[in-house]
Amino acid sequence: MQSFHIRYRNTQGTLMRILNAASRRALDLPSVQAEPAGHDHQVTLALEVNQKQVGQLYREWYSIADVIKVSSGAAQAAEWAAAHPPAGVAIEESRAAAGA
Amino acid sequence: MLKGADIVLKCLRAEGVELVFGYPGGAIMPLYDALEGSGVRHILTRHEQGAVFAAEGYARVTGEVGVAMATSGPGATNLVTGIADAKMDSVPLVCITGQVRSALIGTDAFQETDVFGVTLSLTKWSRLVRTIDEIPDAIAEGFYWARSGRPGPVVIDIPTDLLKAKKEFSGPVKFTPHARPADGKADGAFTDTGLTEKIVALLQQSSKPVALVGAGAKLSGAIPELRRLLDDLNIPTFATVHGLGAVPPQAPYYLGMVGMHGTRAANMALHETDLLMVFGARLDDRVTGDPTRFAPHAKIVHFEIDPAQLDRVRPCELPVIGSLADTMPAFQAALRRHSLPDFSEWRAVACGDERAELDPRGLAQPTIRFLDELFSRLPQASVVVADVGQHQMWAAQRYRSSSPRGFITSGGLGAMGFALPAAVGVQLAKPETCVLCVSGDGGFQMNIQELATVHRLGLPVKMVIIDNKYLGMVRQWQQLFYQRNYAETDLSDNPDFVEIAKAYKIHSFRLNEDAMREFPVSSETGDQIDRFLRSPEPELLVFDCAPEANVFPMVPAGAALSEMLLEEEPSQ
Repeated sequence: MQSFHIRYRNTQGTLMRILNAASRRALDLPSVQAEPAGHDHQVTLALEVNQKQVGQLYREWYSIADVIKVSSGAAQAAEWAAAHPPAGVAIEESRAAAGA
Repeated sequence: MLKGADIVLKCLRAEGVELVFGYPGGAIMPLYDALEGSGVRHILTRHEQGAVFAAEGYARVTGEVGVAMATSGPGATNLVTGIADAKMDSVPLVCITGQVRSALIGTDAFQETDVFGVTLSLTKWSRLVRTIDEIPDAIAEGFYWARSGRPGPVVIDIPTDLLKAKKEFSGPVKFTPHARPADGKADGAFTDTGLTEKIVALLQQSSKPVALVGAGAKLSGAIPELRRLLDDLNIPTFATVHGLGAVPPQAPYYLGMVGMHGTRAANMALHETDLLMVFGARLDDRVTGDPTRFAPHAKIVHFEIDPAQLDRVRPCELPVIGSLADTMPAFQAALRRHSLPDFSEWRAVACGDERAELDPRGLAQPTIRFLDELFSRLPQASVVVADVGQHQMWAAQRYRSSSPRGFITSGGLGAMGFALPAAVGVQLAKPETCVLCVSGDGGFQMNIQELATVHRLGLPVKMVIIDNKYLGMVRQWQQLFYQRNYAETDLSDNPDFVEIAKAYKIHSFRLNEDAMREFPVSSETGDQIDRFLRSPEPELLVFDCAPEANVFPMVPAGAALSEMLLEEEPSQ
């Protein structure tokens, strides 16, 4: 289980779009907590995800118009700070699978 | 004081909208009531799906935002397929829907549908307007999101009472988006010369580089920059179905379309490459085949405006986030500071005649000959609008124009019924241009009612039905992968399309595929095709196609690109 923190402007549908990124992947949403955070809002989701989904979710959330910032638990802290969103599956791992 | 409906129309004019496509109904009636004298021309289609596809056709050929209008409930839900199509293919689209009056929302009132909820996952942005004061902001913001970044669809749902209400109107507003902390980070990543140098280094280490061009090249408006860059790179290059026309087909390094029905040469080069440079393509499954065996030896450099598209199928080594209009010139400048290895040996293999000769596309299939005849006789700068199915892939394989917005089709969603209404939108946007609409007999009947729109407006659309009396692509899969169990794909009881066109007062004729067995075609057949293409009136040509003609090459679902079928297995 991994936690994600998404800061967003609380405009119509933004929270639903954030949740939809999980539901369209048939991910269970065992915990969702949304609350005001300064001038904005923040939702914290707990999700059971694989590494590939982490990268996809990050980028899909970030493409939502009123999402301001996406962050994750400590395990990927370094990746989340990088300019390139987390890639998920390692290149070598993928290439090995391709060659198999 | 202005009514909400008048404010909507003034805001649309302020966004540069001259043309909207729609279908009236109860909740949207106040907006229709205000149309006259507004400066906004309304095109009445005969179904809301026709309206949204026509708006898409307009947007795809111009690059401007297409606008569709519909009433609440069924009117709005009939737009949904077009909205999904616009999302998949990055088409700037604004849909304005009437909603039941504010007091009835949530009561399951007559023709009430939660269109905001229904379209939430299909839109880039949407708004259910709550007060008349919100209308200018909603329209300004909606158009901003439809156009910005990777373009896409927007829905603005307006309760009917707000369209009738009045308020002081001080004029349209402009929308300025809030800055986000990482926006600058993404932009800055590429202006950092370190990244451009890394890409050059990858090229220098490569022995088999290739370039893949997608829709982003057209959407960015950076076609001249792309062509200059590709000339500099001079490496084997191919395009997705939406990238067709971006690269001049006569370029010596160009291998045609890639993917499920791509050329053998393109698919082989993509399978063998050690460096894949992607310019504005999503890399969806129709392009990649089995993702675990997609470009198995390659590192990927992905130029992409939408970070959400990165790493979906395969992680890329170097993402380059931003519009190609900005990123390609920066890359090209870096490229010119260095020398590249000699790729001529690789180019000779990838682009050589041996692979071209093994490509069966040019064989004597009458439908392919027919499309070749049609395309070779098209006036310069014509636009081909293809529906979805076998004819779409044949048309994409045979398309030979270097007009960047000259080939329009529903690529991502694959929505049958797209072509005829989209051709209406294209023709209205380009009244002097020859617009050729190529459909199958299945897809044409999905929006056949738009023949009435064509006739009413006197649009000189040239419509072709490739009539094989089957749902051809499904039948092909049934033949190849379901032991010829042609379950529910037989359309042998099709109506007589020539007679149907006559009922709509549209001139129509039939051409038998026997006319294509002569090579070159007889002068009589050639003249017939020329008259068809040059008529100032709408025309329908029904081409009788062999029922079991198939599209090859074909990469079976789940196979690698290198495992394409070039013809039917002898045993089948």
